[in-house]
Amino acid sequence: MVNPVLLIIVPLGLAFAIPLFALFWKGAAKYIPPAALGFNLIVSLILLPRVLAEPIIVSLGGWQPPFCINLVAGPVGILFSAIIALVGLLVSIYALDYIREGAVERYHTLYLLLLTGATGVVLTGDIFNLFVFFEILCISSYALVAYLGERSGIESAVKYLIQGSVGSSFLLIGIGLLYGQFGTLNIADIAEKITSASPISLFVPMVLFITGLGVEAAIFPLNAWLPDAHSSAPSSISAILSGIAIEVGLYAVTRVIFTIFGASGILSFLAVLGILTLLVGEICAFSQNNIKRMLAYSSIGQIGLILFALAIGTSYGVAGGLFQLLSHTLSKALLFLAAGYMIYRAGSMEISAMEGMGKKMPITCLAFTIGAFSLVGLPPFTGFPSKFLIVRAALATQEAFFCVLIGLVLLGTVIEVAYFFRVIQVLYFKGEKMNSVKKEAPIAALIPIFFFVALIITVGIYPRLVTDVLNSAASEFLNRLDYIRSVLG
Amino acid sequence: MMSFLNSYIYYTGAFGLILIGLYIILVKHNLIKVIVGLGILDTGVNLFLVSVGYITKGTAPIFSRSEINSEHMVDPVPQALVLTAIVIGVAVLALALSLSIRLYKHYGTLNLRKIREQRW
Repeated sequence: MVNPVLLIIVPLGLAFAIPLFALFWKGAAKYIPPAALGFNLIVSLILLPRVLAEPIIVSLGGWQPPFCINLVAGPVGILFSAIIALVGLLVSIYALDYIREGAVERYHTLYLLLLTGATGVVLTGDIFNLFVFFEILCISSYALVAYLGERSGIESAVKYLIQGSVGSSFLLIGIGLLYGQFGTLNIADIAEKITSASPISLFVPMVLFITGLGVEAAIFPLNAWLPDAHSSAPSSISAILSGIAIEVGLYAVTRVIFTIFGASGILSFLAVLGILTLLVGEICAFSQNNIKRMLAYSSIGQIGLILFALAIGTSYGVAGGLFQLLSHTLSKALLFLAAGYMIYRAGSMEISAMEGMGKKMPITCLAFTIGAFSLVGLPPFTGFPSKFLIVRAALATQEAFFCVLIGLVLLGTVIEVAYFFRVIQVLYFKGEKMNSVKKEAPIAALIPIFFFVALIITVGIYPRLVTDVLNSAASEFLNRLDYIRSVLG
Repeated sequence: MMSFLNSYIYYTGAFGLILIGLYIILVKHNLIKVIVGLGILDTGVNLFLVSVGYITKGTAPIFSRSEINSEHMVDPVPQALVLTAIVIGVAVLALALSLSIRLYKHYGTLNLRKIREQRW
């Protein structure tokens, strides 16, 4: 029997062992994150079929829930931990060659800590532990944004830190208010007791939770830090921040809304917020000249779309939102990884500097194009089935409200097409015909890029590979009574 | 008014500190002052958490000592939470201060109104 607790302790232990290994052999540091995340990926994949049948509840310290700290490895938790381990593994292989300057051991320690925090957030069944793992994630991402130590990185790290820690304080006040009312921190126990509380006394904690978690999830208007932080971090970190960190924030928002509060009244408000986030992100992305800022704003837009899909609140909608989350993670990580070496080669982040790059780095640019097509939602890539599911879910509600909003989503997609195709045009069709030297990204970068492309195309052609898992994850979010019963027995 | 203050004095103090901290973060231009504001905000939140579990004239919950009446025991869980929250707060403040040293080296100022290279 593989215990889900290994998913947290192995990377946590190895993260702090990195400086020790580096004492003996300098080069050891960079091989530890791939090893730890590969282990996590294997454990998640072993656990996945088992949790589809029945969630695994791990009680720590020998007490029974609700008195102990527990881990809930349900379909949602293991799905997310598998995604985190997969993307983390591929990005850490990319970082083998990409991260050369600076304090390399510290980079790898913080990188592994960030992913440990993310795994902890999705597995924990206790709101205070959720806060602690969230802080592990946040503090290591503040430090990683500042990793290169140049002007823009430090400035955006300071902004990110101030906004992020105000958000965490709000989250902690919300936790205190819930503890004061119910005398417990266990998510399932609170969810059971919350039906007897008056709605007025729940409103303030819920607002505090959404605000606090919304900063990390980059929900409009709490996302001012994101474009700066994502564009000035090293590209491998941008891929993780865009592909993992904000998704984990969104997971926490969803868990709080659906499981703890069981709030269906607030969903239409969240749907409107999602659409606002989407439109603001896409419109700002359209006007950017810096390729990484453009990708960062596009992440804001995608987060809005995922939030909208989750807020539809039907099983189709939630499954579509989770599918969109998966396809955004894969595509955006691929885009940032490909952009990393394109920027390295061009020597600038300006889109105009990438002219004719399609002939200088054909494979990397092809990968960038595939990522862009997938994000826009063209078949046969994974963005197509996920956006299709969301549109179908919105139309299936047969409410005028969601039908109008899905029209705005399609408008946002048109803007998305416009700015991605502008970049692709610059890559392939601009610039004078010169006999430029072909020089690809190094092999350590091409392997993860190739795997991302393969995953995007495979899932795009056979969406059935993931739909079973996504459907049972959606039903875990929607059936809070089953969640309570499986934890409390 | 006075009776309200008497019975909710800790909550009043905690939320007073939280509001002062938020005010400093929102209004002040100097990064060091903003970090001080973050510290005050953290302290307010911690005070709030402790007062959630506190009862008047409460004492430590040690069950092996028979002279402590269980009616007077305070709830130990919020205190454990605060201990963790303090550690996290220290880490955030330390990181913020070290970042502000680097920021000063690059820009020669800590005035956040002047450090605005990144725009929408």
